[in-house]
Amino acid sequence: MARVASEPGSPGAPTTPTGGKGGPAHARRAYLPTRHELLERVLSLREGSIIVVTVLVAIYFAVDTSTFLTGSSFKTLLPFFAPFAILGAGEVFVMILGEIDLSIGATYLIAPIIYYKFAVAGIPHVPCVLLALACCMAVGFINGFFTAVVGINSFVTTLGMLFTLEGLTLILSHAEPVSMPGAEITTSQVNVAHVINGAHVVLTETVTHASTFAKTLGEGTYSELIWAIVIVAILQVVLTFTRWGLYTVSVGSNKLGAAEAGVRVRLVIIRNFILCATAGGFVGILEAVRASAVEPDVAGANEILFKGISAAVIGGTLLAGGSGTVVGAFIGALFLGIVYDGLILKGVSADYQLFYVGLAILIAMTVNVYVQRVRRGARSG
Amino acid sequence: MADRPTSADRPAPAETIVGPVSAPDDVLRVEHIAKRFGPVTALRDVNLHLKQGEVLGLLGDNGAGKSTLIKIICGFQRQDSGQMFLHGQPYAPKSVDDARAHGIETVYQDLALIDELSVYHNMFLRRERVHHPIPLLANRQMKREARAALDEIGINIPRIDVTVARLSGGQRQAIAVARTVNSDADILLLDEPLAAMGAKEGAQILDLVGRLKEEGRVSIVMILHNYVHVLQACDRVSMIQDGVIALDKPTAETSVEELTEIVVNEYRRAREAAQAEEEAAHAEAARLETEHG
Repeated sequence: MARVASEPGSPGAPTTPTGGKGGPAHARRAYLPTRHELLERVLSLREGSIIVVTVLVAIYFAVDTSTFLTGSSFKTLLPFFAPFAILGAGEVFVMILGEIDLSIGATYLIAPIIYYKFAVAGIPHVPCVLLALACCMAVGFINGFFTAVVGINSFVTTLGMLFTLEGLTLILSHAEPVSMPGAEITTSQVNVAHVINGAHVVLTETVTHASTFAKTLGEGTYSELIWAIVIVAILQVVLTFTRWGLYTVSVGSNKLGAAEAGVRVRLVIIRNFILCATAGGFVGILEAVRASAVEPDVAGANEILFKGISAAVIGGTLLAGGSGTVVGAFIGALFLGIVYDGLILKGVSADYQLFYVGLAILIAMTVNVYVQRVRRGARSG
Repeated sequence: MADRPTSADRPAPAETIVGPVSAPDDVLRVEHIAKRFGPVTALRDVNLHLKQGEVLGLLGDNGAGKSTLIKIICGFQRQDSGQMFLHGQPYAPKSVDDARAHGIETVYQDLALIDELSVYHNMFLRRERVHHPIPLLANRQMKREARAALDEIGINIPRIDVTVARLSGGQRQAIAVARTVNSDADILLLDEPLAAMGAKEGAQILDLVGRLKEEGRVSIVMILHNYVHVLQACDRVSMIQDGVIALDKPTAETSVEELTEIVVNEYRRAREAAQAEEEAAHAEAARLETEHG
């Protein structure tokens, strides 16, 4: 707030010593506000506040631990955030509608199992992925249908879907972990020539191999990050620059008004639930391929769900609907990832981790609300 | 005005069903429209016609069914019975989009504005300009056209890239009206276009309606509450009472007094009926009390 009050050109400015110069003060006014405007522009972004908070947390860990700002730290950070960025991005589309999808964790869990079933039936891997995603789209359609057409609150609809899918996962997998076909890691012995003390020495080394398919879908170190960036970028463009996004905001902001203006509200709702479920299933496949196996862990799936929703909410998407940002969900997921990674690097006991993550979310959201208030002040000024 | 009908010789609204008046130049004809919402009858038997270039004032008390009629014509709701004709052809809109494709645009009572969207996105909602071949929103084009449309109407909206949530009630209403007028529609339905407006803005909208009337391209059905505005802006008035059209007259042949009296009489009639009912209930209660007491 203090920053806003000290804005050059505000009533207080002329009383300062430099303000008495008249002409130069006027020139300064055209010059200085650029920095102020820059700040204002960052803050007036819907993601602005969480960007500030995330940078602060990153600085804290960078100063506090010597290992945070290293490449290997970044690599360990990736699986802590890339999946949740994608989950959050999908959830944003449903949350802007003022709805919620609680079944993304369950979709995440069942998608690789469906993939496994198709693969075992002898279908090639890529069509298996597409078939599994088609099943996820069907899940999204059912969620959307019950919410938009039957008229059941989406919280209830997707809660029912959550249990149904988790149950179905246990039935299909017989509650046993399954390995992901196509994600097997093979090892081979390779003779590698080394030069040691001027002498050529041939040593045998073990090299791991993964198929291009597996490397593309999660196995490769940066594959999840690339997927997350691509998906988030595309969905943000869809949200901001297409009719789909415009209608999504319309339905979330004023459902009746949107309908009166001719927006096909039911179609918009169903479409976004399909998008959200597909994102959930896709992340499930990525993670299963990365781990080469999938554990039918129902409790774990629910934690995935909460982290996905957290990413969206921390990123600035309102639970009440009407407004949201996909990039925000990405940054929200990054924030969560940094907190997890940072706590591990700090050597915080595993027992304390959830506790600190919870506190971090509360503090971050408090700062978020405060920065937003500044932002609103800056905007109306 | 001396021979104005008094409440005594004016038949009850139930019998004053104004029959359909066919004319070759009717752009819109509404015949025997009825609509119920559960136990509530909104429209019993409504007949309405609209000539090319005409401005029709639709009057009636709160809850008389004016907005329901507008929503049926614009395709938002469907009637239980009755037919509509557009340029002499049967007209049964399947949706708002369908009605729009038939050249009918609406300003709703609740304005149907999206608070979280910018002024220009609201003005182009469902008529967005997009690029080709990738259908991304052509925001610059929409901004330019929205600005031009608002300037033409003469409504001052300082910035059109802010969300409409930040505008005053009158500005919001102006945008809803501008959105409708700016379309290619040839029939405009305006449900209380002046409700939230200050005197100046209201006058601007009425001026706009006057200009449209002079051009003669569009025909307008307008719901208004202020009878002075009605007489000023409309060619003809139709008054809905009790789910039927109780009066249909050119504005030249009526007056604020007549319109007011019809409404007041209706109100008195309804109040007397309610009082009689209440008295009957009291009497019944007293009777029961004496019987059992």
